[in-house]
Amino acid sequence: MRLQIDEHRCKGCNLCTLVCPYRIFKPGKQANRRGVVIPELDRPERCANCRLRNLYGRTLCGTCQMICPDQAISWVEEDAHVPKKVAIEY
Amino acid sequence: MSEEEWLRQDRLPHIFCAGCGNGTVINCTLSAVEQIGWKKQDTVFVSGIGCSSRAPGYIAADSLHTTHGRALAFATGIKLANPALNVVVFTGDGDLAAIGGNHFIHACRRNIDITVVCMNNMIYGMTGGQGSPTTPAGGLSTTTPYGSEEPAFDLCVLASAAGANYVARWTSYHVRELTRAILTGLETPGFSFIESLVQCPTNYGRRNRFKQVTDQIEYFRSHTILVEKAGRMKEKGEEVPAGMILSGEFVRRNRPALGVRQ
Amino acid sequence: MQGNTACAEGAIAAGCRFFGGYPITPSTEVAEHMALRLPKTGGVFIQMEDEIAGIASVIGASWTGKKAMTATSGPGFSLMMENIGYAVMTETPCVIVNIQRGGPSTGQPTMSAQGDMLQCRFGSHGDYSVIALCPASVQEMFDLTVDAFNLAERFRVPVFLMADEIIGHMRERLIIPDSVVSGQRVPLEQGALPFRAGEDLVPGFPTFGMGYGVHVTGLTHDERGYPCATSPKLHEDLVKRLVSKIEGARDSIASYDMVNPEAETVFVSYGAPSRSVQQVLHDHPGDGIGHLRLKMVWPFAESLLSRFKNAETFIVPEQNLGQISREIERHVDGDVIPVPKLGGDLHTPDDLYRVLAEVR
Repeated sequence: MRLQIDEHRCKGCNLCTLVCPYRIFKPGKQANRRGVVIPELDRPERCANCRLRNLYGRTLCGTCQMICPDQAISWVEEDAHVPKKVAIEY
Repeated sequence: MSEEEWLRQDRLPHIFCAGCGNGTVINCTLSAVEQIGWKKQDTVFVSGIGCSSRAPGYIAADSLHTTHGRALAFATGIKLANPALNVVVFTGDGDLAAIGGNHFIHACRRNIDITVVCMNNMIYGMTGGQGSPTTPAGGLSTTTPYGSEEPAFDLCVLASAAGANYVARWTSYHVRELTRAILTGLETPGFSFIESLVQCPTNYGRRNRFKQVTDQIEYFRSHTILVEKAGRMKEKGEEVPAGMILSGEFVRRNRPALGVRQ
Repeated sequence: MQGNTACAEGAIAAGCRFFGGYPITPSTEVAEHMALRLPKTGGVFIQMEDEIAGIASVIGASWTGKKAMTATSGPGFSLMMENIGYAVMTETPCVIVNIQRGGPSTGQPTMSAQGDMLQCRFGSHGDYSVIALCPASVQEMFDLTVDAFNLAERFRVPVFLMADEIIGHMRERLIIPDSVVSGQRVPLEQGALPFRAGEDLVPGFPTFGMGYGVHVTGLTHDERGYPCATSPKLHEDLVKRLVSKIEGARDSIASYDMVNPEAETVFVSYGAPSRSVQQVLHDHPGDGIGHLRLKMVWPFAESLLSRFKNAETFIVPEQNLGQISREIERHVDGDVIPVPKLGGDLHTPDDLYRVLAEVR
């Protein structure tokens, strides 16, 4: 899954930068066309929900999405999901 | 179905200011509604007037955006006339505690089977930042420019005393806890009241030493204390620090309720 | 049977299944009888915490598809004004009974008056139109209540039954028909825009719980029901439609009794004073006195006045200081003589005949 911020909805409040346990959201530097400074994503592939949602079949963490007052954070499927067996080596 | 499907996509982005906590409370409410498995066609959202009361307009179910303070009276009519409908009321502190105070206590007394989510931003946001019944003593607003001289209403204690079956308080920082509380409220027959403190960066925050949105959220994080913990501290004779927000479940009981689906 | 009780019976016959109200003299018997009868007819009665909540619960109930009603009097009617405007704006069918008493303020709780006739028309803020019916007998308390529901359903508008304490508390013989004509609001077609109206200017009704997902707001809204409070054009179109749907139908829905349309001197009356006028006509048969008794005062069907072709003088007895006589003045060339009466007593037939003799 891929984490994304909807630039049309985001108003740049930066609440996501406060709550993400991985500190994926960083305050943005540049205002977009609408004058909103959208947070930047720092290595979003570290997001637990990105990695494991399909494996667990439910939302993991998801705090950024819940706290986002503008309903701007979501996850999209990158490719058709192929279930993979995960072998854990000791 | 997901929470996204409960939103009127064609109306977003909403009118709330950047950083307003109301959007967060909408997320938590929709998540709870989603978890309990209610269907759109069986669910009605009702609201009064104010920032919080714009919420139903963004939800793709039947919704009634009514007059200032009267949401609970309208909701009572809906629920009694058709108990098969699930009724959720969005309201704010001014709407509920000031102009709608009488409807509030009587809805609690009747214990009518609706769930009320109160977005308490401690100020009248839509009209430009006037003091409300929940503005803390000393709080600055356009009508309390020297600091509010009145004590604030404790809505949860009020609802508990008036007879609601479920009463809880969280903040817009505590999204998980808030969602769980709303879910419990939806599940509980009778009147459920969930108060969520929300940040109002535009009108409350900037006048009351919360320069950034995140400052007030950080304040909510660091200044909440569980009701149970506060109770234990009192039992031990310890002082609960002043200015702490009591959060958690205030009441969960099973008084006879009105308008419960048969 | 008492007028107020007849009103409640009329409501139940018309299919009213929700009553939300608050006790107030002299309308309380309506609520009392509804409390007695509604639970046995599958309806809901609730005594709310005030009149504001009463009308609010009625509007809420109406959106679930129930026919709903409240009853009140002067002070309570004043409290309801904001939500009456809300019902107009959101096009919510509902019936509001006002058993008028002496005002202003607490005034004369147990005495009759007709002082709220302009308030029911103009009391809420903004431009709008409503329908108001004025019964003059116990039978009409029943019949016009039925009409009120049918009109509310048809036009999606609050309809007022503007009775007065005399009619409300009068006891007369009432004949309850086996069945009454009971109109139903037209449902919205699935998929249609909820506030788009056809030729009759009345949109279909999207009942809550039927999957319409409609947003209802007192804000100026577009045809989708979405708030759009800053568009001058949208607001103008909406308000004009709300007014036109009623005013455009005023001649077709007019309800009245007309006696002796050739007369030169015509009494125009509504409500209790009509009884005194009828007595004058009864006492002076063949005297060529005309009488127009309005059962529907609002919308005001001025074309009725022009049907008295020879009329030179209109005498308007009212239990107020001339609220409707002023409306009549706007529409006729002849003299309009108001006969105001305050305090709760009815004009006696002698009073009226004396006025008649003076102008002749």
